[in-house]
Amino acid sequence: MLKNFIALMIILFAGPVYAIDGSSLLKEVDRNLSPESYESYRKLINIEPDGRKKEFTLFTVKKGTDKVVSLFLAPASEKGRSTLRLGDNMWLYIPNVGKPVRITSLQSVVGGVFNNADILQLDYSAEYNVEKVEEKGNEILLHLKAKTKTVAYDRLKIWADKGKKLPVKIECLTEANMLIKTLYFKEVKEFGGGIVRPAVVETDSPLYKGYKSVMIFAKLKKRDFKDEVFTLTFMPNIESLR
Amino acid sequence: MTEKLIITWFFVICLMLNAHFVEATEEYSFDVSETEKKSYHIGGYIEFRPAVFSLDKEASLYKLKFYNREEGGTFEEYNAKFQLESSLEKGIAKLFIKTNTDYKENYLGEDQKTTIYEGFLSLKPSSSLSIDIGKKTLRWGKGYAWNPVAFIDRPKDPEDPELGLEGFIVASADYIKSFEGPLKTISFTPVLIPVYEHVNDTFGDINKLNFAGKLYLLLYDTDIDFMILTGGSRTTRYGMDFSRNITPNLEIHGEFAFINNYKKMFINSTGGISETEYNAYSYLAGMRYLTEKDTTYIFEYYRNDTGFTSREMRDYFTFINSAYDAYLSTGSDLQIKKALKITEAGYGRINPMRDYLYLRISQKEPFDILYFTPSITWIYNINDKSSALSPELLYTGITDLELRLKATLLAGQRLSEYGEKQNDSRIEFRARYYF
Repeated sequence: MLKNFIALMIILFAGPVYAIDGSSLLKEVDRNLSPESYESYRKLINIEPDGRKKEFTLFTVKKGTDKVVSLFLAPASEKGRSTLRLGDNMWLYIPNVGKPVRITSLQSVVGGVFNNADILQLDYSAEYNVEKVEEKGNEILLHLKAKTKTVAYDRLKIWADKGKKLPVKIECLTEANMLIKTLYFKEVKEFGGGIVRPAVVETDSPLYKGYKSVMIFAKLKKRDFKDEVFTLTFMPNIESLR
Repeated sequence: MTEKLIITWFFVICLMLNAHFVEATEEYSFDVSETEKKSYHIGGYIEFRPAVFSLDKEASLYKLKFYNREEGGTFEEYNAKFQLESSLEKGIAKLFIKTNTDYKENYLGEDQKTTIYEGFLSLKPSSSLSIDIGKKTLRWGKGYAWNPVAFIDRPKDPEDPELGLEGFIVASADYIKSFEGPLKTISFTPVLIPVYEHVNDTFGDINKLNFAGKLYLLLYDTDIDFMILTGGSRTTRYGMDFSRNITPNLEIHGEFAFINNYKKMFINSTGGISETEYNAYSYLAGMRYLTEKDTTYIFEYYRNDTGFTSREMRDYFTFINSAYDAYLSTGSDLQIKKALKITEAGYGRINPMRDYLYLRISQKEPFDILYFTPSITWIYNINDKSSALSPELLYTGITDLELRLKATLLAGQRLSEYGEKQNDSRIEFRARYYF
């Protein structure tokens, strides 16, 4: 009788025995990175192997899971350009050309290591399914697989801080697990309104040896927008949202 | 003592300001004052573009242009451009002005021209509605090199399709509505185009108020537009276009235009001028493809039903040659002047014939050279088998400076479009600085 009781206690209190729900965790990571609808300012810096830099400043607004638009504020050569993403559709508007043209997620409107999918980032949970979850000390490793072929990277490996539920490092891979680029999330800071996230995202790529690109976030805040803002016709008017 | 105090306070204030305005990070900084919105904006670019032309002295258009002067085998041209954009915004209203100043120096001497490309007042009472009144470009159509449905735009140059264009004075509105489901967006753009003396008088017949409209749909991830232009300055025309990504890296697009009762004036080889009227059906089919190695292919076929046939073009060139011979033998340039007039009336427009192919191949950042894009563009006239081939090198690695070296080689037999251009080849360098 006593043996049975001890065995029952061991089973009940041995643990903790639980499985991490990868999908819920990914959604939590998404919400910790940004509210579902927000506005933000970003600086993109492309750094060449000799240390030369080229900088771009962007104003970005996002709504829901599939709508995001960015407006270039600087440098002067790019000012007024805007990029719109509506699900799998992406467009680029150049003021001199005067009309939006379709672009693809793998192209880069700024050159360097960041491509359009990085600049017009949707929620990870909107584009990826969690295939596997691993615990690695203070971090959780999420193995993600793209939901459709139209997503820029077939696979992602996200190393997330177990406590903060924020990404620390993301590897972007092809279907054959070839590394395309690595994103490093740094300098967690408070943006106000309860938003605490990394302010700096660095990236490098074996395809661009010696090159590095950096994205710095500022003035990230929750804001709601009408759906009409995320349309081709509105693209020349993004500046009016600031 | 006082000086030291002032310096110390100045230093402290600077530090405070720095702490306030600069989002400092370990290695990088983001001065958030860069993001502050101003109610006004002044910007634009200045450009310098020297060019050397290699002349074809046997070509009809050489004879037409240089009939009364002797030029060498080449001539140089120095071009400069100053494009200024300024805007002023207050509440729902925004005033926008874009001016363009072109300066040219060549064998004819100096020439300078300033044009208001755009200048309009824009009112945005909501994100669903905007109203624009003034001079503006509308840039309808999905084609890269040509746009048969651009009913209220000046024709763009397929050799440089991204150049800014002069607009027309219009009153227009955009009404946008978004939905959930396969139909994601509808937008409607009505446009009024007054054509009177000194107001849009190059658009068509004067003393008419023209109406145009465009209906845009984003349906099943496809951009679709329907257009109309009517009112009398030009004959009524209808159009539609579409653009869609078949795969993430392959986009297809097309345009179709129906022009009712199009009137075409043409000249025969002896100088007799005739006019014909017919319904014209012009269209364009194209694709844009991006490879894994960042090579972009843009390919288009353009059917220009308002264009001249091979025979009509041959007659035109034959007439110029006869006019030139007459000038040499009699010294009279009457026939030459007639040829110049008809050139301005239609034959001189960009790509005046019926069937064209366009291919542009550009390679982004080859050999890991960031911001460097070499490309080659080929325009082929299917009707007379003449062509223009333009290799170019573009470098944008220095902030706000764009450097481009471009050559153009023309090929074609006698009495063909590119074979009869005044030059066989051209090389130009363009340095453009944005501010």
